[in-house]
Amino acid sequence: MSSPANTIALGKKSPRIYSREAVLLGCILLLVLFVLFTAAVSRMYHKSIHVLADNWFDQGEASFRAGDIKSALTDYRNALVYSPDNAKFQFHLAQALSAAGRGDEGRSYLLNLLSESPGSGDVNLTLARIAAHKGLNSEALRYYHGAIYGEWDNDPISRRWQVRRELAEYLLDHGLQQQAVPEIIALADSTPANDTEQLRVVGNVSLRAKLWTRALEVSRTILSANADNEDALLGAATSAFNLGQYSAALDYFDRLPEKDREAPGVAEMHKTAQQINEMNAFLPGLSREAKARRAASALSLAANRLQQCASQVGQSLPATPAQTQLQKALAESKELTAEQSWQNIAKHPETLDELMGHAFEMENAAAAVCGEPEGADRALWLLGRGREFRHSD
Amino acid sequence: MTEPAAVTPPGAIPPATNEPASSASQAGFRAMWERWTSHVFTMREDRFFLFLAVLIGILSGLAVVCFRIAIEWTDIELLGSSLSPTFPRVVLAPTLAGIVVALLVIYAFPRARGSGVNQTKSAVYVSNGYIPFNTVVGKFITCALAIGSGQSLGPEDPSLQMGAGIASLLGRRLRLSQEKVRLIAPVGAAAGLAAAFNAPISAVLFVLEEVIGTWSAGVLGAIVLAAISSVVTMRAFLGPESMFRVPPFRVAKPADLLAYVALGIVGGLASLVFLKWLAYARPRMQALPRWTQHFQPAVAGLLIGIIGIRLPQVMGAGYPIIDQAMHGQFTWKLLLVLAALKILATGISFLSGTPGGMFAPSLFIGAMLGGAVGAIEQHFFPALPGTVGTFALVGMGTFFAGFLRVPITSVFMVIEVSGNYTAILPVMISSLIAYGISRSYIKVPLFDLLARQDGLVLPSVEEQREQMILTVEDAMRVDAALVLERAEQVADAIKKLEGKEGLLSFLRVRPGEWNFIERSELQRLAADTSQSHTVGEADSKGPLPFVFRDMSLEEALHWAGDWPVLPVLSRADLSKLEGVVTLADILKAFRKVPVA
Repeated sequence: MSSPANTIALGKKSPRIYSREAVLLGCILLLVLFVLFTAAVSRMYHKSIHVLADNWFDQGEASFRAGDIKSALTDYRNALVYSPDNAKFQFHLAQALSAAGRGDEGRSYLLNLLSESPGSGDVNLTLARIAAHKGLNSEALRYYHGAIYGEWDNDPISRRWQVRRELAEYLLDHGLQQQAVPEIIALADSTPANDTEQLRVVGNVSLRAKLWTRALEVSRTILSANADNEDALLGAATSAFNLGQYSAALDYFDRLPEKDREAPGVAEMHKTAQQINEMNAFLPGLSREAKARRAASALSLAANRLQQCASQVGQSLPATPAQTQLQKALAESKELTAEQSWQNIAKHPETLDELMGHAFEMENAAAAVCGEPEGADRALWLLGRGREFRHSD
Repeated sequence: MTEPAAVTPPGAIPPATNEPASSASQAGFRAMWERWTSHVFTMREDRFFLFLAVLIGILSGLAVVCFRIAIEWTDIELLGSSLSPTFPRVVLAPTLAGIVVALLVIYAFPRARGSGVNQTKSAVYVSNGYIPFNTVVGKFITCALAIGSGQSLGPEDPSLQMGAGIASLLGRRLRLSQEKVRLIAPVGAAAGLAAAFNAPISAVLFVLEEVIGTWSAGVLGAIVLAAISSVVTMRAFLGPESMFRVPPFRVAKPADLLAYVALGIVGGLASLVFLKWLAYARPRMQALPRWTQHFQPAVAGLLIGIIGIRLPQVMGAGYPIIDQAMHGQFTWKLLLVLAALKILATGISFLSGTPGGMFAPSLFIGAMLGGAVGAIEQHFFPALPGTVGTFALVGMGTFFAGFLRVPITSVFMVIEVSGNYTAILPVMISSLIAYGISRSYIKVPLFDLLARQDGLVLPSVEEQREQMILTVEDAMRVDAALVLERAEQVADAIKKLEGKEGLLSFLRVRPGEWNFIERSELQRLAADTSQSHTVGEADSKGPLPFVFRDMSLEEALHWAGDWPVLPVLSRADLSKLEGVVTLADILKAFRKVPVA
């Protein structure tokens, strides 16, 4: 196979070169055959390995679904032996470990996956749950945000919404209300107006976060589609009550089925709303006389509460000159209540606001010293606070 | 279109006249082939050596791919596909395979027994690069059977030897020069190891650190080329993924590194225990009657199978288990038990003469120890950075450095097998500590120890590496010279020399040009009272070759024989004499150094 030029160039070494040439040609042929053989063997190997890995994984899935976490763990691990870099297998093993209460062990696989795909929504969410389970708030928050802004294979909008809901609930569960508020606002903003179920969830978390305005708004949206939705009625009633919109609250409470109305907490609010409604001198549609009667009654109720409070804390009333806040409030009220019978008030309807204002001040003064009132006093006190709230708005 | 008339070279098959297109393509192919062969066979031998290195790399890579597949298949067939083999298999497979392996080693492949590293070293230093190809076949079959059946051994050392064997065969068949044939075995060794570990840098370093011992430029290029081509080949068939995945971490405070100091101490002590045990038990096992060799691998298999009933993790090379440890799947107690049992199982397998390597088991032991140390430390110091997996990763390098005494390789190996650079500082610290402990208590490294037990006196690379290199500074005398100028009076020079018998006189001609003047010559001129003489008139010897204080004494020795004395000059100023050195000084300095 040597050319004459070769022979001349290589001179007397030619026999050795011929031999080397033949050997090299043999080597190259052998190499080609070896490559083909290895390719065939490797193809068979990979095929059988994949089958094994998939079989173990399927077995693991079946065990996991059947609640046999221990077997699932073994099966997932066996699957990983044959496909160690399979992200799906690693993720399922991590989930199974997490489900078995061995979140720390699962965390390691998840961190690996995260280092490879930091934007994975699933991985971030599982890590967030593990951190949440361990009470590592800042870490949980970081991973929850990673999941919210991460990538999701199926239905990303819905998955992100679910994660944000989970985050909001986690924050509320852990008393992190301030951090929960922006999440709830974002959750509400990303909720479609026609999805009653999602709106109900937003309403619930808004109520838990005491975002009354938003809760009322969401509940009203639901009610506009379904006027009898019990959750929405309860949400609307509660939020309206807390916003001082007692008439509206009473309306919602009244629309609730009786069993819901009698639930602990709800019944109390309902009763208070009724009382407020009964003593509210500002209700539209009331006659002048009715308004005057209510104002006089409020003044009398507040004065009594003040007296009781003073005797409770051992302050003599009236004192001259008035020294404490309680004494000052009572001194002012004495003058008013002495002169203001309901007839007088009816004659001078322009004094109604001022008189009711005094009644509220007396209740406030008593509440400041003796604590929040109960019963009718509470209703009057809340009515006053509701008006303050509206005026300050 | 008319075809141009093809020129048929002498001896070539004439093209068929009825197939003009085919004949043209054949002629074209032939011309191309001849151009190529002409190019290949007329290239200088060192270039051909590099070309050969690539070929060796590809062949070794293919061999390692087949070897790994063979191990996997054997494992699945004999032990089943689960990580926890069932009872009869777990005991029967290694025992029965042990009998077959013993028969193969005794009757068919006697050289398959023993360390691949040492056989490659002995090819370099003893047998002129000769490794019989029978060894390659034997290693492939027996190791696949042994490791696949659960013997606690690894595939890296056999892969290394298979690479070396393929290289040796090619070198001989291609009739390379004797020097190249001798050097080609380490080239193949690097290729085999690189493919086995999927770690080219570590393989190159290991071969340089353990097999050759020097960074010879002549072979370095070939080793690197072979390692790269074998890894590329292996990755083409088995995928590019690194062996282990550990999340990146950051050592926040220098104090955090103390955690790895503790790991270094534990790793060093564990490697010491393992080495001592092997050093003690191996000669005793070798001293047993020859007929017992028929049963030793089977007994080892039985014992490992019994361990495997409860803890199957110790069986085989154990890479999936290392991966699990790195993901924090075991408690620290279980990690410690696994490390201890792996030392036991690997010792049993190795001492029984079952073919297979100790690289993978040493990584396993290191990972388990590292994980255990990490878990314990993190229990007491939860703020420590990194996971148990990080400690397991560093532990691998630590034990590897202590056990095999290759600290540089261990650092790079950890980086390559994990693809994680963040562990470099911890692994450097702990590896050096483990290496230091191992070296302090066992003077002879593992491979040298095994060679000596087998009656071979191979050069100790560790000793070579650590042998003191003497420099001129070690031999020179500082206050033994008098520097004279041309214009200086001889009488003044004589005065300066009075009472200082050992003082040698040097004439500074110009920077970098120094002459030596005998004392007798100065005295001769001084005796001439008829006129005053300057030093410049004296008969001087020179210009003298000069040396620098940092030059090796061996270099200075080249000149010292021809000249009575050599000036030692400053590198910054060639007119400044820093000292003098004579042949006697050099020989005296050499005698002071103890011979290894």
